[in-house]
Amino acid sequence: MTTFSTIFSNPVFLNFIKGPMVWLSFIIFGLGLIVQTFRLLKLTQIKEARRVAPEEDLSPQTDLSGWERFTRYLAFRRVSVLGSNACLVLISVIFHVCLVVTPIFVMGHNVMLDTSFGINLISFPEQISDILTKFVIAGGLIFLMRRLFLRRVRMISTVNDFILLFVAVAPFLTGFLAYHHIFNYQVMIVLHILCGELMLILIPFSKFFHMVFFFISRFMIVSEHSMGTPKRSWQF
Amino acid sequence: MGTTTEINTDTIQSILKQNKKQIKLGLAMCAHCSLCAESCFLFVSHDNDPEYMPSYKFINSIGKLYKKKGKVSRQVLEDMRDLVFEKCALCTRCYCPFGIDIPALITLGRNVCRSQGLFREYDREW
Repeated sequence: MTTFSTIFSNPVFLNFIKGPMVWLSFIIFGLGLIVQTFRLLKLTQIKEARRVAPEEDLSPQTDLSGWERFTRYLAFRRVSVLGSNACLVLISVIFHVCLVVTPIFVMGHNVMLDTSFGINLISFPEQISDILTKFVIAGGLIFLMRRLFLRRVRMISTVNDFILLFVAVAPFLTGFLAYHHIFNYQVMIVLHILCGELMLILIPFSKFFHMVFFFISRFMIVSEHSMGTPKRSWQF
Repeated sequence: MGTTTEINTDTIQSILKQNKKQIKLGLAMCAHCSLCAESCFLFVSHDNDPEYMPSYKFINSIGKLYKKKGKVSRQVLEDMRDLVFEKCALCTRCYCPFGIDIPALITLGRNVCRSQGLFREYDREW
């Protein structure tokens, strides 16, 4: 711990990871996202939808009674992932929302933005950020447990999955520990910066890219389960 | 026990090459979440046996072939045949939260098996 402290309190190292490294990771993150999204979109094309039913059958029925709508919803629930894995879907949604929202609205980040550039963004009160961070850590723990102990998940898990789960949760864990001054604050905050930068750099080039792929695949590609009014299809 | 010589690796590789983008994207974007499991009626009817999980089936058929660049033994390909022919009815009911076209990928696995003379064995006794 003491050796870490000496390296982590080295002003040259500190200035590098707090300055150029932040810019670099944000540039790699931004450009990477643009390039990878463009590459993904190049695999798709706007195509005339294949007619599978007469037009009037495709339009949603509007003359259904409330009861009919309710029973249809129940039938949909029964066969959909919401019915079979309601708990996991809920945990997953909470995890992902907190994962994205917390870093944007955490007060510590916004104070730095304000002092550096005078950009004043809305922040959550510290207690709320703290709770959201706990949600992320708890979600990560649940996902880890599933991967380790649920046979169906373990059978398709690779080392990569564990690494990425760790990379996703590490910034939150170190941020949490630093905020609560558990262990050495200086070490934790440096690890927090490094983990955050690592995550940003990895997003466009790893399975983290599902943050873009999900929206393209579900909202822009025509398929049985697509949402919205997509017009594109894959052109492999 | 079969050997690699019985397998025409070139044919497998040309199928893999033709569909490289699709296989690569499917493998890269599968988050290994296992949410597709319950959407497979065979998974449910076989006492939730993970080998019937759609993602398991495509990862261990066309995914495995892609990672090994088509260099597999006859035995491995025969196991794959069981996976894509016997353990999947290709009913296309599987649901992926990311919208990965799992049936298309399993179809590619079937293509490879068929190219090596491996089909569904209707007269097999289980």
